[in-house]
Amino acid sequence: MSEAAQRLAGDSRGDLHSEHQVLNMGPSHPATHGTVKFLIELDGENIVSLEVFVGYLHRGFEKECESGSWYQAIPYTDRLNYNSAILCNIGYCMAVEKLLGIALPERCDWLRVLAGELSRLGDHLTRCGAACLELQAMTPFLYGIEARELTWDLQEELCGARVTSNYIRIGGVKHDMPGDFPGKCRAGIAKIRALLADFDKVVTQNRIFVDRLRGTGIISREDCIRYAVTGPVARASGIALDMRKDEPYLAYDRVDFDIPIGEVGDNYDRYLVCVEEMHQSLRIIEQCLVALSRMGPAPVNVADPRVRWPAKDGVFNRMEELIQQFKAVTEGPMVPAGECYQAIESANGELGFYLVSDGTAVPYKVRCRPPSLINLAPLPLMVRGAMLADLIPTFDFINMIGGECDR
Amino acid sequence: MKRAEKLTWVERLYIPMIAQGVWVTSAHFFRNLLGFITGRRRDFVVQYPEERVDYADAFRGMPCLVQLANGKPKCVACGLCEFACPTDCITIVAGELVDDNIERYPEQFDIDMSRCMFCGLCEEACPEEAIVMSREVEIAAFTREDTLFHKEQLLVPERLLKRRLGFLRAEYDRVHAAAE
Amino acid sequence: MEDCGSGILQRLIAERGEHLESTHAQHGDATALLRPESLLEVMRFLRDDSELAFNMLTDLTAVDWLDRAPRFEMVYHLYSLDWNHRLRVKAGVPDAPDAPAQVDSLCELWPSANWMEREVWDMYGIRFAGHPDLKRLLLYEEFEGHPLRKDYPKERRQPLVGPRN
Ligand code: SF4
Ligand code: SF4
Repeated sequence: MSEAAQRLAGDSRGDLHSEHQVLNMGPSHPATHGTVKFLIELDGENIVSLEVFVGYLHRGFEKECESGSWYQAIPYTDRLNYNSAILCNIGYCMAVEKLLGIALPERCDWLRVLAGELSRLGDHLTRCGAACLELQAMTPFLYGIEARELTWDLQEELCGARVTSNYIRIGGVKHDMPGDFPGKCRAGIAKIRALLADFDKVVTQNRIFVDRLRGTGIISREDCIRYAVTGPVARASGIALDMRKDEPYLAYDRVDFDIPIGEVGDNYDRYLVCVEEMHQSLRIIEQCLVALSRMGPAPVNVADPRVRWPAKDGVFNRMEELIQQFKAVTEGPMVPAGECYQAIESANGELGFYLVSDGTAVPYKVRCRPPSLINLAPLPLMVRGAMLADLIPTFDFINMIGGECDR
Repeated sequence: MKRAEKLTWVERLYIPMIAQGVWVTSAHFFRNLLGFITGRRRDFVVQYPEERVDYADAFRGMPCLVQLANGKPKCVACGLCEFACPTDCITIVAGELVDDNIERYPEQFDIDMSRCMFCGLCEEACPEEAIVMSREVEIAAFTREDTLFHKEQLLVPERLLKRRLGFLRAEYDRVHAAAE
Repeated sequence: MEDCGSGILQRLIAERGEHLESTHAQHGDATALLRPESLLEVMRFLRDDSELAFNMLTDLTAVDWLDRAPRFEMVYHLYSLDWNHRLRVKAGVPDAPDAPAQVDSLCELWPSANWMEREVWDMYGIRFAGHPDLKRLLLYEEFEGHPLRKDYPKERRQPLVGPRN
């Protein structure tokens, strides 16, 4: 036998698959809803190690904010987590309000809670729906997305846009809710509840779905803490961490809701936590509607001339207000020098804004603490040793949103 | 939170659960079918572009310029929208009028629609109600040059913008009512 | 050193006061400015002390004060799950042509620091001594410069990005 043939024969007698295989998954993979690349080292079908590459959606959010006025950053925050844009609006505006020392009118608090919960609902629906789709369950995806469309319809009624709402303003909201909104919202909630019930019937006790989720992607309580994981992922691991309860902001201390806590910290727990949170969000929305209708018409913006643009009809007719408007637009609010950190509970976890002002009308630094980036960091830990297919639900329930993760 | 630790034997058996799933999905199917036959559509899909949804009153489409009855833009080229726009997509070149009681007008008014993000800050800044968000969203173009909208394309007669202007004016009234 | 009425700062001043430069509690956020060389030690104390127990490093970032000395400032936000309190820790990082900005990595204390430090390296060009795998996080390896530095012009074009059209 020739030398080469001998080597071949020797090869076939030995273990053929002793070498690890390296697999590139992404950046644009049909089974991941998010632009991310995994470099996976595989032993057969088991993951030996995994490296995550993020940044494909980096648009320089922070740099862009540092070149406009405080106002002009609000539309950009819409593009952070585009599934729950209003929550990002709220986070940023609350941080600026903290720097300015503004107390909000009560009606605005409730409106923000209402809008924020609507958008949290949309985010969770996308997460659960898309996770089903990527586990090859097409029907629940359609139910989830239909319910999300309903929340987006409501957001359109409220804010004027479905996704990039640009609804929250520094010291208030853009405008009060339309008069027929409560009725539409109640009808929408009833439909969403029906869809959630169907969703539940199709997947929650379905053996295929449960077998794919149960026991996969486990992260322990301690690891969650070490990696500063927050949001539904942390709650599924048994950490009772929710900014809405721990540091109540807006009107969250006046609404009645529970936070679901998981036990195991696997994907099934994350799924259950998300579903339960949706029901809680619906509850909060209903309470907001009651509170808002009880309150009657009231201002939704603070009357602080530093941040409030003058009333429009005054601008049209009176010189003084016109000059004020010119000043407000060309200069923008002057924020006193200082720094602050404001965290809110977004759909993915703790969304924090760390702002530094040097006393001018332009932010000196805008730092967004992106929950999905930080929650994604322990992914290699969660799937080590697992099957390649388990990566998909694990990644889905972390719910990495490219816009927020990469900014 | 309730976590069913073990599936019951019925659930482990696949078949009953599949039957339940089929029941749910067929219920949706027949409901939609019935709606289709009786003409009271229940399904969620809109057959765009043959069908369109009616956007909400608050809807923000592309920004456009209000055209007065005499064909002139209402805009006085003050430049506030240019200032307010986060993406710097508005370009205004002002011209002077001598004979009119409006002294300035925009000789050139361009909005780069490839950069505009429909945020509505220009509308909020305008002291003349001269730039408003229309209900138009179909602004795709084949070249980048075509996404630069000029004054002529942006001008929309005031009567076609009734709904938006009505919405805005109702908001001013509400602000006053709330303040009292 | 002022304790600003905050129990966290009181304890920190009492235990590790010699490592602090200043403290404040602007807008209710307790803040301590550390000497950079004692960063690791104080952070370990903050994590392990049972009364403070800052077991989560929630956020880590830097600020570029272009014409101040030291030029950079590291900003850490700590959260204690057990006590539900927060602390901001800052440390100045000097930057000189012959000694580029460098600070100790916190990866051994909190693994969450790993990615966030990579991001700071990416955006500000601050090196972290002891970081296991310091490379860019959001940008690509061929990227020139560190975009969140104040002297990086917003309009600058990168070599791999094609011509303007
Ligand atoms: S809608 Fe926003 S982005 Fe578009 S022109 Fe107006 S201000 Fe600029
Ligand atoms: S703010 Fe209004 S009036 Fe001023 S330039 Fe813009 S559109 Fe014209």
